[in-house]
This record gives sequence, structure tokens and C-alpha cells, in this order.
Amino acid sequence: MKNGSSSRLWLVVLSLALALAVLSGCSKKPPVVTETAPVEQAPVERIAPAPKPEPVQPKGPDYENLEPSKYGIEDVFFGYDKYELDDAQMAILNKNARILKDAGVTVVVSGHCDERGTIEYNLALGEKRAKVVTGYLASLGVPAGKVKVTSYGESRPFNAGHTEADWAQNRRAHFERP
Amino acid sequence: MRRCTRGFLLAALLAFLPALAAAQGGRTEVAIEHTATAVLKTDVRVGDFRALSEDQAVQEAAARLREVFANDLLLSGLFRVGGPGFADKELPFNWTVEATAEKTGDGAIVVNLNLLSWPDRQLVLTKRYKPGPDQIRTTAHHFANEVVRTTVGTEGIALTRVAFSRGRGDRRDIYVVDYDGEGLLRLTANRTLNLCPDWSPDGTRIAFTSYRGGQQGLYFLETATGQVSQVLSMAGLNLGADWSPDGKELLISLSRSGDPEIYRITPEGAIIKRLTVSPAIEISPNWAPNGRELVFTSDSSGTPQLYMIDREGAGKRRVTFEGKYNDSATLSPSGEWLAYATREDVLTQIVVMRPGGEERRIVTDTSWRNCEDPSWAPDGRHLVFASDKSGASKLYVYDVVENGFRQLTFGNDPDITPGWSH
Repeated sequence: MKNGSSSRLWLVVLSLALALAVLSGCSKKPPVVTETAPVEQAPVERIAPAPKPEPVQPKGPDYENLEPSKYGIEDVFFGYDKYELDDAQMAILNKNARILKDAGVTVVVSGHCDERGTIEYNLALGEKRAKVVTGYLASLGVPAGKVKVTSYGESRPFNAGHTEADWAQNRRAHFERP
Repeated sequence: MRRCTRGFLLAALLAFLPALAAAQGGRTEVAIEHTATAVLKTDVRVGDFRALSEDQAVQEAAARLREVFANDLLLSGLFRVGGPGFADKELPFNWTVEATAEKTGDGAIVVNLNLLSWPDRQLVLTKRYKPGPDQIRTTAHHFANEVVRTTVGTEGIALTRVAFSRGRGDRRDIYVVDYDGEGLLRLTANRTLNLCPDWSPDGTRIAFTSYRGGQQGLYFLETATGQVSQVLSMAGLNLGADWSPDGKELLISLSRSGDPEIYRITPEGAIIKRLTVSPAIEISPNWAPNGRELVFTSDSSGTPQLYMIDREGAGKRRVTFEGKYNDSATLSPSGEWLAYATREDVLTQIVVMRPGGEERRIVTDTSWRNCEDPSWAPDGRHLVFASDKSGASKLYVYDVVENGFRQLTFGNDPDITPGWSH
């Protein structure tokens, strides 16, 4: 059953990706991103003592040392016991994918669950959530090696409460620095 | 020599009528009937534990020995305990236990423990111990097991321990506590998430899942030295290892192929065989005591349910049909009972039933919250599980025969995923 629905999901993902590829081919401008990648300085050897160079400030955000939420990456959320992405979550991931491709940064997607259910099943469910996200990002062209997967199940809740509103906040795929 | 036991105690043993399951539009409701019946117990008189010296250390040793020993007898569930200083001074005793403690020339404490028949006072068993300063409790546990073996004919659990995970968020360490709640020890301190400890049958190693390598891996902890070594760290989950009854291999759930599947591995971390192939989640494997079959969780039907397969992965059959969410199955050492966690909305509860599904009963009522991860004691009568009944998740011990509970761990930090030693 799950197999059927997830292959349908992938059909949707693939067609979305195709549509996106066509759309971006038609549009005149590439997606606008405000941040630019950090400039790498090649090491320079000097024989004579030279005046100490001023430290170079990278022009864009220091992606490697920032939590992804600081450069516009948003977490995505899931239904109770679910690991499928709905349209709103896919829209968030479309935006995340553009940022990640431009930044070329490596991130970790960690899967999380609410407190209901068992420790082990929630670790597996959390991993499913993280993998659905990375699979979708890969379909949008984010290199697979740039997105690592982990799961914390119910062990690292974002909200400590026991209401449905708290639980909804805890059923998520969270983007974090490696 | 086995003595006939005569003590009958009218205690509350729950005999559960088979679940009166009435299918109602896909949902089933379970009625549980409680009836009182007789539990056979052996009556033991815990007599004098005399200090043969004015020395304070000797006096304390004798008193501590008596206290720990009597508690062991009570916690076993097999005895009524009475004698001087107990509520029951006179019972139809079958046995009496008496002891002496003294100091030898080299300053060491020596204790003599004697089991005698009652009332004719014939010496049946005598043991002499020379416990070190920290070994009074162990000595009491050891003699309690001797008394269980001699008077009841089964193996006692007084020397067993429970390993578990304590902490918050992604900082949880493996701890161990004696079965009676004393002797708490922290075994790891690596500032990551460590959970699901499982004892090797010989007690020399604890397998557990840890994130200490930056991603999930399977690790062994040597119980004698505390040394930790990595066994396996494949991409994805390396979760819920379970030692085989002969200690020669383990079951584990790995998601290296994409989603979690059940594998048999060697203690060196080599894969022997992949046992499941499905696009669903397969987790929580647990060996049957015969080592020929295993029970595990799969959500291939749409919800997590329990299944059994043989050790080659063949002969799959579904075990649970009641409840929309069943996980964490564990078979008792005799194979008589299957315990697992079932979720009813927010209330995850502990279920005990026969492996064929008969005599199913939810043992925790609705005053319990988030009851998870049952693990059997080697006596097949007690099981430990985690519940946040009192706020933070704590460990509790359930007695299947008398339907009683006791709290095993205390404090504010959550305790989860207990594993009882063998």
C-alpha cells in the first residue's frame, strides 16, 4: 500500500521536476538569490616579508559556519505518522533547493517525530521523512552528496509540550549544519 | 534435595478471560476480566543474622546482608517472608535462613549463611563468603539465588541488572542499575545519543546504538572494563541489536539499502544474511529463545504490526491483528509469553499475550503514559519497561504472575529503552 502511494508520489515529484526544468528554461532570468558564495583565497607564498594583509571578508554569508535557517533554508513538516510531502512543503523545498544549489554548501537533514509511538519506530519514521526530503531535493538537482541524512526520532523535540500544536512542530525534517 | 512447599497464599492473580473482541467497523474492543485465584508461595523465615563482634563494620555488614537478602526473596515473587522484625512473625514456614558475620585475623569480614528446614532445623545448605567492602550486596544476592535454586528449583534473578539510556535530547548515555534499583552506574559519557542496550547472553558485553561516530552505529561495551568499540556503522539506521541466545550472532535493523530491513550479523560486524525485503519499515527484531525464529515489526500492511519469520527469513506470518500500532516485541526466555507496546492514540501501553495471540491483555491501564520497550528478566516472570507516568520517563518492573508493578529508577532525567541482563 505504502509502496503504491510512494511510487505515485515519485511520479508527482518527477513531473514537477520536469515542469520546473521547462519553466526555468523559458524564463529569461535565473532565480534571484540575494546571497553570493564566499570567495576563496588561494594561498600566496612570499619570500620577502610583506605587510600583513587585511583579513578578507567573504562577500556572501559564511555558509559553512551558519545554521541553514540563517540563510533562508526552512524546515518542512509532516502529518501524524506520515512521511509524504504535501504541496506546501514541496514549495518550501523548491526554494531550499535553489539556495542550496547556489551556495554549494553541505547540510544535514534530520528527521523528527512527535512523542507518540515508540522510540525505534520513530527513529525509522524520522529517517523516512529525512530521505523523502533529500530524494525530492535530488530530483531538483541538489547533488546527493551535499545533503546528509540522520534521524533523531522523538528524542530531540523542538517543542516540549504535549498538545497537537506542539506535536505538529515536532514532526519535521530539520536542516542543520554538518 | 527438593522440599515440598506447603505455603498457599491467596493473592491476586489475574486470570484474564480471552479477549472478548467484538469487531465494530474495523475497530475491536477488548474486555478484561480480573478474578482472584491462589498463588503458591514458599514461606521463609529470615532469622537472626548475628554479628560475632562488636566491630561496627561487622554489625553493619550483618544488618545490610539481612536487609538485602530478605528484599531479594520478596522481589522474586516466589516467597512470603517473615520472622523477627517482619510484619509476619509467624507463618507456616518451610525454611529458615540464619547467618553469622565475623572479622578474621587479617581484618576481612567473613559471613556464614545457612538454610535450614523449619521447624525441624535440619541444615540443608551452608555457604561461607569473604566479601570485600563493596560486596555485601552481591553476597546477599548470591545466597538468595542459592535459596531459590534449593527451595524452588529455578534460577533466581538477584544478580541480574538492567541497562538503559538516560538523558535528554541528543545527550543520552548508557547506564546500568541492579535489578533491585540499587547500584546505579553510568557506562558512557560521549555527549551524543546512546540507546537500546542489549546484554550478551554471558553478560560480558552490552550492544547499543550510538551517534558517537557522528552517525548512527552499533557499538559494544565490555562490562568488565567499560571499553567501547564500534562494530558497525553503515549509512542510515544501525538500530535495535538483539543478541542470539547462543551469543554467536545478532539481529539488527539496517537501512543501508534505503529503508530499514532486518539482518543477521556476526559480533565482528559482518553481515550473515538479510532476512527481509520490502519497501516498508522493518525494525525491532527479537530472537525467539530457541534461536530458530524471530519476531519483528513491519509497517508493510500500512501500520506497524508484529510478524514472525524463521532465521533464514522464510515462513513469514503476522502475529498481531488488534491495534493500529504494535512494536517492540520481546519473547520471554521460556517462549511462553510475548510482550510488546501498543499505541492507542497518545497512550502507548504494554501488552502481554501468548505468542499465538491467545490471552492478550493490556497490562498497563490508562493511568500509564507512553509505556515502551518491554524487556524480560531471565525468570520469564518479570519485565521492565519505560513509562512517563510520573512526568519524566522512568523504568518500571511488572510481575506477570501477580500483576504488580514497582518503580525501578528515579530522578528527573528520562530513562528509556531498558534491557534486562540474562
